[in-house]
Amino acid sequence: MTPRHAIIAIALAISGGAHAATVTIDVRGPDGQPLSDAVVVVEAADSPRAPPHGTYVMEQRGIAFQPHILVVPVGATVALPNRDAVRHHVYSFSKAKKIDLKLYGKEDQRSIVFDKAGVVALGCNIHDSMSGFIYVTANPFADRANGQGRVQMTDVPAGKATVRVWSPSIRAPNNTLVQSVVILSSGFATTFTIHR
Amino acid sequence: MILRTPRFRTLRTRLAVLYTALFAVALALLGGVVQTMIWSHARNSVRAELSASGSVYDGLWALKAKTLTDTADVLTRDFGFRAAVASEDVPTIESALATLRGRAGVDHAVLVNLDGSVVGSAGRLTAMMATMPHRLRGGRQDAVVNAGGATFRVVVSPILAPTEIGWVVFVVPLDAPEMRTLARLSAIPLTVTILRLGAGGHWTSGDGTVIADKAVDQLVAASTRERPLATVSLPDGRAFASAKPLIGVGGRPQAALLLRYPLSAALAPYMPLEVGLALAGIIGILLVVMGSIRLARGIAGPIAALDAAARALEEGSRTELAVVGDDEIGRLAHSFNRMSAGILEREHRISHLAFHDSLTGLPNRSYFRQSLDQAIARAPRAGEQVAVLCLDLDGFKGVNDTLGHPVGDSLLRELGDILTELAPDGLVSRLGGDEYAIILQGRFDPDRPRALAQAILDRTSQPMKTDGHQIATGFSIGIAFGPDDGDDPDQLLKNADLALYRAKRDGRGVFRFFEPALDAAARKRRQLELDLREAIQTGQFRLNFQPVFNLKENRIAGFEALLRWNHPTRGEVGPTEFIPVAEETGMIVAIGEWVMQEACRQAAAWPEDVRVAVNVSPLQFRNLRFKAVILQALAHSGLAPHRLEVEITETVFLDGEDHVLDLLHGLREIGVRVALDDFGTGYSSLSYLRSFPFDKIKIDRSFITGVATDDGAAAIVRAIVDLAGALHMETTAEGVEDGDQLALLRGQGCGNIQGYFFSRPVEGAGVAALLSTVFAQAA
Repeated sequence: MTPRHAIIAIALAISGGAHAATVTIDVRGPDGQPLSDAVVVVEAADSPRAPPHGTYVMEQRGIAFQPHILVVPVGATVALPNRDAVRHHVYSFSKAKKIDLKLYGKEDQRSIVFDKAGVVALGCNIHDSMSGFIYVTANPFADRANGQGRVQMTDVPAGKATVRVWSPSIRAPNNTLVQSVVILSSGFATTFTIHR
Repeated sequence: MILRTPRFRTLRTRLAVLYTALFAVALALLGGVVQTMIWSHARNSVRAELSASGSVYDGLWALKAKTLTDTADVLTRDFGFRAAVASEDVPTIESALATLRGRAGVDHAVLVNLDGSVVGSAGRLTAMMATMPHRLRGGRQDAVVNAGGATFRVVVSPILAPTEIGWVVFVVPLDAPEMRTLARLSAIPLTVTILRLGAGGHWTSGDGTVIADKAVDQLVAASTRERPLATVSLPDGRAFASAKPLIGVGGRPQAALLLRYPLSAALAPYMPLEVGLALAGIIGILLVVMGSIRLARGIAGPIAALDAAARALEEGSRTELAVVGDDEIGRLAHSFNRMSAGILEREHRISHLAFHDSLTGLPNRSYFRQSLDQAIARAPRAGEQVAVLCLDLDGFKGVNDTLGHPVGDSLLRELGDILTELAPDGLVSRLGGDEYAIILQGRFDPDRPRALAQAILDRTSQPMKTDGHQIATGFSIGIAFGPDDGDDPDQLLKNADLALYRAKRDGRGVFRFFEPALDAAARKRRQLELDLREAIQTGQFRLNFQPVFNLKENRIAGFEALLRWNHPTRGEVGPTEFIPVAEETGMIVAIGEWVMQEACRQAAAWPEDVRVAVNVSPLQFRNLRFKAVILQALAHSGLAPHRLEVEITETVFLDGEDHVLDLLHGLREIGVRVALDDFGTGYSSLSYLRSFPFDKIKIDRSFITGVATDDGAAAIVRAIVDLAGALHMETTAEGVEDGDQLALLRGQGCGNIQGYFFSRPVEGAGVAALLSTVFAQAA
């Protein structure tokens, strides 16, 4: 979670009053190890849209997308700077956003506006090994797991909710696991273990 | 022998079979070893080849998969293609897939989307291909699957954009052409077959060349990690095989490659070797058979010949073996020849000795007897005659005694030769001693026996010159004819002997034919012998005494003891009848001893100046006990020795002069007088008179009978008397029968007379009366 994103969450939690809770979700891979390449989204009954603000960056550095996974709200503009000495041809065939940034170098500025929710898989036509994901969502309760495979959210409205866990390694439709949960005001904590 | 049960009758066969069998066994062992080595070698070389081929196949297999995958990857990484897939531009995708099919040379290629939908068609394989991306795990991109009775290689290539957005899947059928393509890559002509795991867990091929077989199942099961080689039996023959399981979708193989190499093909390179070995073996066996037969013939042939020769020898015929080589066999044959020659020679000698006389070489008594038996047995059947001539040499004993045995033997040999020469038509045999016999048989001239006997007598009548000695000899011959004179050999021979006896009796040097009367005479003589024996035992003899009158002293000077035999049934038997028999049988010795004892006993009772004269036979004289008999008679009777006068004839000298002279001197020493009886007959050799000083000479009665009428006889008597006088010997004239004779004898100076004119012999009891009578007369 970026600091900015966290401030929004805190604001939401205060506005929610007594019906807000803290949600902690751990994601584990098939080997039982914490999985960081995962995005967790909690869809509450009446969660507000998250407005895009600020600038999001996914740079190409060391023949790789950095960060590997980026969560952005719908409408956000993501800069795709090339920090490498070589040029890249960044593309995406994803339905949420088709991208075809022909060869560009350090000097070139490229940024894309992601106006549809969905997962945009980025690749480089020059470098097959390069892979990046931009998770575009309108839901404010969405975050990428940290190094310990944990996502922690505050001020999540209590009540029924749907938890979606996305990871490129999940072999399921849309690479997403979906679970319905009830979030108590006292808080909610669970662990998702991905079975291949 | 080692082999106790001779299954073969001949040594040759046995040796040949033994050698051949040994060689065959050795050959079989060698063949077994070679076969094993060939098998092992073929197996190893095929294993190496299969193993190498297996490795090649693995590489090829992997290469093929990679080629296919790479081809697919080229497409799936194509930006345009990915764009088409992402944008679900179906016509573009299908055209791209068509391009891929052509480029990779595959039949079917489809696109499978993430949601399982398929773009492109592969007919009935479409469904299988749609599921393939999800069934392959662990990054594997290819697998071998069975579908619709066929086997396929499935290659899956993901479309990354950069995440998987779909898969390109294509299938390559693993069919016969594909396998042939594989097989062509091998250095050896392998057959490559795809096996499918079917119902019941059996690995079989779709074309029926490999049917359910446990060995194949085991081979595939064992080939997961290693690549073992097995020998499997397939419908088209036995083969070396190795298997390569092909990884299926689930990790477990559903299909496998079977690489096989026919056994016949593997062993084919060794065929010339095996054929060569078999030919060498057959040639070897033939050589061994021929060689062993030849060797066996070399050994067994001579042994068989020896065997046959030994049998022949056993049956008495002579067999000479050819001696070949100087090895043991040759030496054995040589020894056998010497042995058989020795045996036959000894046999011949023995039979010759058994049937021939060693001295003359003539057939002996046994041979003679056998021949006679045969001749007599044959004669009646053939209407033939048999004549037997028995010959006895006259006076042969004298020859032996006077000239020695060597001369006698020479004489016998010479006579044998003469007989053989004279009787070429007869069988001349020597029966022993001086006896010969000749058998004439067949159809001979009836006069032939007589002629032969005469010829023999003529030839031997002249003295024979033998070893420098002139020997006067001669044969007495008895002849008998069969079957007239005897139809059995014993009878015929006995009769011939009787005829011989007759010839001897008739003065020797003659031949006599057998007559039945001879047989009767012989019987009578034998009876006489028996009677004589009995007479000795029962004392049927007695003595008579004939006085000897001394003409000078006109008194009886003594008596001559005369033996009388009064037989209980035949009465008085004359001395001329029984004395010769007693002499021939030797009984004269016992009789003479009795006479000596009895004469001395009776004479002892007579006056002192009366002597007793006892006649002594040459046989008695020859007896070594004779002197002892006289001493005993004198001792028992107490008679003074000078009163005993022993009368001998010249014939005693025929046995040898020295011995007789010794005895005579011995008698003289003890005082006994010796008179020479029957002087004037026989040889009347004057040398006897000179060699021994007889006390008295008795002039034979043949001179006395005619002394009164015949001047010649008188002259002889006078000469004898004068001769005796000159030699200081007394004379006694025997057989004086009348006064004229007495007067003449007295006139001629004869000392004593004996005869009927003076007195007949008187019995012992009459001696005393006679003495007194004569004395009275003389007085």
